[in-house]
Amino acid sequence: MIRTFAAIDVGSFELELGIFEISNRNAIHSVDHVKHTIALGKDTYNEGRISYGLVEEMCEVLNDFVRIMKGYQITEYRAYATSAMREASNSQLVLEQIRVRTGIEVKIISNSEQRFISYKAIAAKDEEYQRILQRGTAIVDVGFGSMQASLFDKDALTSTQNLPLGVLRLREMVAKARISSEQEKTLVAELIDNELVTYRKMYLKEREVRSLIAIGEPVLTLFYRMGDGKKDQITQEEFRKFYQKLSSMTLDQKKDEFSVNGEYAAMLFPTATIYKRMMEITGAEILWVPGIRMVDGIAADYAEDKKLLKFNHNFSNDITAASRNMAKRYKCHMPHIQAVENAALLIFDSLKKYHGMKERERLILQIAADLHSCGKFVTLRDATDCAYNMIMATEIIGLSHLEREIVANVVKYHARNFRYNELKVEAQPYCDSRLANPENLTLLIAKLTAILRLANSMDRGHQNKLAGCKITLRDNQMIITTDYDGDVTLESLSIAEKSDFFEENFGIRPILKQKKRV
Amino acid sequence: MAETENIYTDPKNYVNREMSWLEFDYRILNEARDKSIPLFERLKFLSITASNLDEFFMVRVASLKDMVHAKYRKPDIAGLKPEEQLALIGEKTHDLVSLQYSTYNRSLLPTLKQQGLWVICEHEELSGPEADYVDRFFHENVYPVLTPMAVDSSRPFPLIRNKTLNIAALVQKKDGEEDLEFAMVQVPSGLPRIVELPNGPEGERRVILLEEIIERNIKELFLNYNIVTAHPFRIMRNADFSLDEEEAVDLLEEIQKQLKKRQWGEVIRLEVEEKVDKRLLKILKKELAVGAEDIYEINGPLDLTFLMKMYGMTGFDALKTPFYIPQQIPALMNEDDIFTNIRRGDILLHHPYQTFDPVVNLVRTAAKDPDVLAIKQTLYRVSGHSPIIAALAEAAENGKQVSVLVELKARFDEENNINWAKKLEKAGCHVIYGLVGLKTHCKITLVVRREEDGIRRYVHLGTGNYNDSTAKLYTDCGLMTCHPQIGEDATAVFNMLSGYSEPPTWNKLALAPLWLRSRCVKMIRREADLARAGKQGHIIAKMNSLCDKEIIATLYEASCAGVKIELIIRGICCLKAGVPGLSENITVHSIVGNFLEHARIFYFGNDGSPEVYMGSADWMPRNLDKRVEIMFPVEDAQLREQVVHILEVQLADNVKAHILQPDGTYEKIDKRGKVLVTAQETFCEEAIALAASHTEDQDIHNTRVFVPAEA
Repeated sequence: MIRTFAAIDVGSFELELGIFEISNRNAIHSVDHVKHTIALGKDTYNEGRISYGLVEEMCEVLNDFVRIMKGYQITEYRAYATSAMREASNSQLVLEQIRVRTGIEVKIISNSEQRFISYKAIAAKDEEYQRILQRGTAIVDVGFGSMQASLFDKDALTSTQNLPLGVLRLREMVAKARISSEQEKTLVAELIDNELVTYRKMYLKEREVRSLIAIGEPVLTLFYRMGDGKKDQITQEEFRKFYQKLSSMTLDQKKDEFSVNGEYAAMLFPTATIYKRMMEITGAEILWVPGIRMVDGIAADYAEDKKLLKFNHNFSNDITAASRNMAKRYKCHMPHIQAVENAALLIFDSLKKYHGMKERERLILQIAADLHSCGKFVTLRDATDCAYNMIMATEIIGLSHLEREIVANVVKYHARNFRYNELKVEAQPYCDSRLANPENLTLLIAKLTAILRLANSMDRGHQNKLAGCKITLRDNQMIITTDYDGDVTLESLSIAEKSDFFEENFGIRPILKQKKRV
Repeated sequence: MAETENIYTDPKNYVNREMSWLEFDYRILNEARDKSIPLFERLKFLSITASNLDEFFMVRVASLKDMVHAKYRKPDIAGLKPEEQLALIGEKTHDLVSLQYSTYNRSLLPTLKQQGLWVICEHEELSGPEADYVDRFFHENVYPVLTPMAVDSSRPFPLIRNKTLNIAALVQKKDGEEDLEFAMVQVPSGLPRIVELPNGPEGERRVILLEEIIERNIKELFLNYNIVTAHPFRIMRNADFSLDEEEAVDLLEEIQKQLKKRQWGEVIRLEVEEKVDKRLLKILKKELAVGAEDIYEINGPLDLTFLMKMYGMTGFDALKTPFYIPQQIPALMNEDDIFTNIRRGDILLHHPYQTFDPVVNLVRTAAKDPDVLAIKQTLYRVSGHSPIIAALAEAAENGKQVSVLVELKARFDEENNINWAKKLEKAGCHVIYGLVGLKTHCKITLVVRREEDGIRRYVHLGTGNYNDSTAKLYTDCGLMTCHPQIGEDATAVFNMLSGYSEPPTWNKLALAPLWLRSRCVKMIRREADLARAGKQGHIIAKMNSLCDKEIIATLYEASCAGVKIELIIRGICCLKAGVPGLSENITVHSIVGNFLEHARIFYFGNDGSPEVYMGSADWMPRNLDKRVEIMFPVEDAQLREQVVHILEVQLADNVKAHILQPDGTYEKIDKRGKVLVTAQETFCEEAIALAASHTEDQDIHNTRVFVPAEA
């Protein structure tokens, strides 16, 4: 059974449509692909909103996309918009116009979701991906609005950072300064260095990076001439030579050589500079350009959702590795973290029949447990408020914006009064079918908070006293039995303190019992 | 080093394209003069020289005149300024026209007479009963559609339509002694030019031209006047117009407007009878504002294109080349549908030796096939009642997505194009009316079909237009394939034609105006590099015209490097062949035959692993820079051999081929002691034999074996 699927990317610089065939045998196969240059980002980055003229043009092109989709008798599609639309103040109006005039429902996705989607497309190139991951690797995704640098530790993606180094953004910045082309080059290099040096200091220490995976539209244009369109990897030395050649070219030469328009040609140099500097500061030897576009990612994401594609890569591992890494970074007491995580998962698993939550919620709980004390890095007094902000400011690839917000709220409320009516979630509940019950988020957060609270009190003394405890359920009671024969007064008190809230949520009261030695 | 580079680009090493084009018309005229050719075929060739010359004036001469008016002084490829070119053209066309008419008068008319066809040149030669018949014919058929026009102080000089045949007269009032007045009448284009007279003597048929009949009866048109003198004349106007596409909101409207304007262009040629009254000529010259050098005094009937109608007269079959029936293609001579056959392997089509039906069939089958999702095609100069258009419309009605790029800028065909484009739109096709600033000249059809193992694309690529009528007269090649890489490219071509960005890379196709030029130059240079490295460099290129400076310079350079370059060029060739120190390794063959040579084929030796391409583009600046063109490879080894065979046979032709001499003239090959080879005839015979042998293979009486059908 072959499914045809259409992916639409409403990007900052281009509208793109990909038609894909998805089957078990062929995996994902691109059948048609068109793109139309329309610089939405120019409006957004300069004016803060998207002008009517561009909306008009966009609707026209999208209507043509609809025509092409009809040609392939497409019934399933996904259309995502990224930074230009995300940052435009009138995005809701624009999306409504598009919906009314073309029938296409465009969803705005968060940066981390966008990156995750592209990341899935890389992972879909399984063989090469696994090979590259054997050695230290970073994904460098340079787009028109920003760039994303993600670092791997062994085969798990542990940190990701968004830097304001989009090539369209850079070009717009430089275009404002009326300077010679030589000065322009220096200015671009300085702007880039400024960001990258900080990045290196904060994140790159002691990391060994041998290969860079380069994705995003700008690098594709660059690379098709660079690598003769045949091979998809080049060495640092080859890149250096290519860079020299590029910097000596005039705009017209670039237009000819890369067969692009002037607008595009002006972005080649910033693109190349970013990658060159990234290679230098990471010491990477190889640049792999797997030829991934946003639309490929949308297709991979869809295929996974519909269970048409199974990844060998475990994305949940990335998420837990990234949150552990974050906890370490903020000097959390790791044995305690481990103890809380174990306890939380133990409670979650024991109460399955009572709470009705699934795998995804379990993962969210696990991350909340890992991050529950990171706010203490900044301040010991209002640590949970801090933690909330820190989590909201740290992207975790693989976690949707909504999920991250749930984590942040669970962490926030685990050490303060839970007010059911106070809680508000910013994120649009989006097609995130992975949550068992996305409708009632307040209750979901309350349940997870109750578990985290209890788990945290179980290691109140940070001694891991209750290691290996067992949980049994009897007559609306949850009996936690431990072998530990020392003093557990602190833990008992603490558990008792949390038990009202716990009972409120699950109708079960937790009780700690010490097993007496015979 | 600099000096040797110069010789490749020095204007004196190039031929002016208009001169070269006139040489081409001379070669056709040579066919009309060739006594070994059936008489009626010679009429046809003469007619072609005349219609060619008309188009030449309307397009080329007109645009040179425009350049002169605009004070544009840039020299051409051969270093000539527009006015210098016009002077040369004037001289050479006057010669050409005298040769046309001496051929007509001295050779063709007497021979026709011998064969029993009398053309009555002057109505005075009519016999009594014939004269009666002609007068009756005039009153019944001609008189009602004539619009006589007189000129006096109250009536201005009438508008004379481009390319129409007219009769001008000087008249004088019967009752007075007033001045001579000018009067004229258009010879109606709706009536046949040739009128056959009844009841001729046994074995003899007699005809007279319409204008003679009118001239004879012209007094009937101006009853109050005496006719002093009356003579036919014909004018040619500047027909080339440039479209301001950036401003044209709707290209279609603009062209319709321009079509009306076309009648009003400047007069660039006036043809009159040789013995015309000088007073009459003076009036025409003044009123039409035409210079002495643009007046052609003709010794015979104006506008020889009527000879094509004469060719069409019934009878005289013995004096015509027998009609050739295009043959079936063996790969398609089975019960399976065309998709199945293409899946078995690429299919090469060689028209008109082989039938054009499979191309029509592809679109027709696709229109009905439930699995076909979309059909996309470029259409340029399509015949009025094209079965392809009907099939496309049907496909759209069947719910297929049909995209058609209709090229409206094909010269002189606009009116025709607009009609069927509208028809297609009505049927629900997505019609794209050309691209701003570019003509779409490539010939490509894409059928997208959903099959069990996913989407498969069937592509037809050709060197000639999707025109089932011209496919019987033009020699063209086509390729049908479902190679996925060509399919991907084809999709990208149509996406680009719909206004989307180019694909990141092309798999197999090379497109003008962005990639083709550099690709061709690169391949010529590759042969030159091979030759310099002591290996064999070899290029064979067949096309209609060669006049691109960069390509020619690169060819000169390759020739000097030792590459053997064999060119087969039907028409214009701005390259000089066989010039020592410049092009001694280059030969140019030119074939003028019954079929119009039209295919473009390119062969590159490539150090023993030859590459063969076919395409829609000539090596002309307009094709390489101003048009969307496609060059495609023939990769199947067997098909490649067949294409190389086409080139080899053409090079071996020693009957119809002219060879370009170092001095720029064309000469036929000395046939003494040689086996005669006529390429077009050879291809006909081969196509017949191929189809026949395939039929034999399947005929039970030959094989005497029952073959079980495959499941």
